[in-house]
Amino acid sequence: MADPRIERFTGPIAAFVVMVTVVMGTAAVLFARKLGFAESQVQAFYLGSEATFAPPRSLAGLLEVAVPHLLAIPMMVFVTQHLVAFVSRARRRPFAAVAGVTSGCAAVVIAGGLAIRFAWPALAPLKIVAFVGLEGTMLVWLGLLVAALRGSEGAPPRVSG
Amino acid sequence: MRFLVQPVPEALERARPPVRAFLAFTALLLLAWVASRAAHGALTPAGLELILEPAPGERLGPVALWEEVHQGAFLYGFLLLALGSLLAVCPVSRRVRNALLALATAAALLDLGAPLLPVALPGFPGWAALRIGAFVVAVGALLAMTSLAWATFGRETRGSDG
Repeated sequence: MADPRIERFTGPIAAFVVMVTVVMGTAAVLFARKLGFAESQVQAFYLGSEATFAPPRSLAGLLEVAVPHLLAIPMMVFVTQHLVAFVSRARRRPFAAVAGVTSGCAAVVIAGGLAIRFAWPALAPLKIVAFVGLEGTMLVWLGLLVAALRGSEGAPPRVSG
Repeated sequence: MRFLVQPVPEALERARPPVRAFLAFTALLLLAWVASRAAHGALTPAGLELILEPAPGERLGPVALWEEVHQGAFLYGFLLLALGSLLAVCPVSRRVRNALLALATAAALLDLGAPLLPVALPGFPGWAALRIGAFVVAVGALLAMTSLAWATFGRETRGSDG
């Protein structure tokens, strides 16, 4: 049974979950279309390609993408995890472990482009793995949120300051 | 969120100035969003089709379309969560706040999804007008939520039901 203090937030949280799902879905489409899920495609995106006449990415161009994402992704991850901690009875250690994986993947996704372009192109597979990890763990968080809101976790949510 | 979940009058009253400042910025954001779309020609069907209509052979539509849906969903998600949560502790009837939230969410989804219609069903008529209408309704509902929260947040204690 849902905690009555949480019940009134069910609507806003459900709307948030729907929109985050759209954000994650469109992120996957954009990743596939702009970079691709092959190592060579990711390297070509950042380093340029003679075959497609694509120039290498400039520092300014990479920062133009990285800076807003440095706000948006951590903010979205933080708010989602905050809500999960708030409405579910997830245990502390698994919660911290998955939260760490999500944050680590987010950091690699954001910084990966700069590293591939200016430091080590062989990091391309890591960027792909981190993106898949970020998407996967975000799906876990969203699933936990939905389960908690539907009261299917079997116990009242933990509400503590 | 503690002050939202345990809405004691003193806490809500203390939170009113920053909440009102946030709501003022939210209203500015919504108005700026409308201005931005107008400046890009995205508030007329012809202008919108020019920007987002898939070119022949472009199976998934232009990348700009996906970027816009991506950014729009982020913005809508945070606005719906923040405004919906604030309204939940305002002395507003449950019916009104649920209706506004449902209207804003449905219109937002339509705003985000309408440009995908000609991608899924090439030649789909009227998607641009549908998107403009949905955007106007979504922004209108969000502005109504903002105004309502501005006027009522911290005014009186609510029951546990809301």
